[in-house]
Amino acid sequence: MKITIDGIVCEAQKGEMLLQIARRNNIFIPTLCHSDALPGLGSCRLCMAEVMDRGRRSVVASCIYPVKGEIEVFTHSDKIKSIRRNLLMLLYARAPEDETINKLRKEYGVPDNIRFSGDIEEHCILCGLCVKACEELGSSAISTINRGVTKKVATPYDEPSSQCIGCGACAYVCPTNAIKIEENDGERTIWNKTFQLVRCERCGKPFATREQLEYSNKKLGTDCGEALCEVCKKAVVGEKLKDIYERTT
Amino acid sequence: MFEKYPKEQRYTLSILQDLQKEYNYIPKEKLIELSEHLGIPLSKLYSMATFYKALSLTPKGKNIIKVCDGTACHIRSSRSLLDEIQNTLGIKPGETTKDGKFSLETVNCLGSCAIAPVMVINDKYYGKLTSSMVREILKEYGGADDE
Repeated sequence: MKITIDGIVCEAQKGEMLLQIARRNNIFIPTLCHSDALPGLGSCRLCMAEVMDRGRRSVVASCIYPVKGEIEVFTHSDKIKSIRRNLLMLLYARAPEDETINKLRKEYGVPDNIRFSGDIEEHCILCGLCVKACEELGSSAISTINRGVTKKVATPYDEPSSQCIGCGACAYVCPTNAIKIEENDGERTIWNKTFQLVRCERCGKPFATREQLEYSNKKLGTDCGEALCEVCKKAVVGEKLKDIYERTT
Repeated sequence: MFEKYPKEQRYTLSILQDLQKEYNYIPKEKLIELSEHLGIPLSKLYSMATFYKALSLTPKGKNIIKVCDGTACHIRSSRSLLDEIQNTLGIKPGETTKDGKFSLETVNCLGSCAIAPVMVINDKYYGKLTSSMVREILKEYGGADDE
């Protein structure tokens, strides 16, 4: 199946998300809440695109729009640009000092003298990606709390959560770096909870929390053996492959 | 009290409503217990409990006063009713009196704009109110007895 995005003909599979097809063909669509590993959120709406399907024009969120037929897509039409400008104006009002938002705001020519005044400490845009990450990777320690203007992401009762394993997936996926994660002296603090970090058995670098390693062992159903940091793990695998290669040649 | 319902996620809200009815709020221990019972993360339940206005995480008063602050009531000075309640009971919207007798809430419309300004205590409607009437009504419920 072939679809046209901004005049470029792209090969597409039925049911594939529009954003995915665009990215594969090097067509840039801005996103905040999208992560390839955690798709399907569709909350930031920045990825809006105009779709022309059998003579009908509609505006869709490209990250959650499955392509069904041979459509024509416009990712930077005047209408789309104006929608993105409005979204960015509101996001800027929400997180006025945020770097990511400001970069996008400048790109789309949104003025910084808007009539809303947000909290300069605020970076969270409530996209919900962290909650999704915690649910899928960790243990659902965080969720959105309250609603309307008081809505926020936090642990139950704002207390250190017994569920939290300190994996930091929430902070890692956050598009605006709104989640505070601090690491020093072999300790990691996140969501008001402090974890002792386990040192890599090879290089001695503190790299993960004990809870995190226990969790992954439990999830995989095996003991992962040596506790190794990412770099050392790669090196070990590399050595193993080298051995195998040398033996077979 | 959970046994009435099968252990399924879809009964969460019903159970939370029952808890609210039983205790007048949702105690923390009960929420934790429910999360274990249903196998749903506590964060999910906490999210629900904070989302719905009908659920409260802090103890609610025996009598719940709802003052309408919708457009019709607002222009018929519902604010003065709130001021009167604040003067008499010493609570602002969202608060509960220390003796646990009253909770005050504002609502955005009660569908009774014809008798604005309106106030509802528990399930009883009071319409065409004035500040002095509010004082009298509160007395019926055992408030404002300091006068």
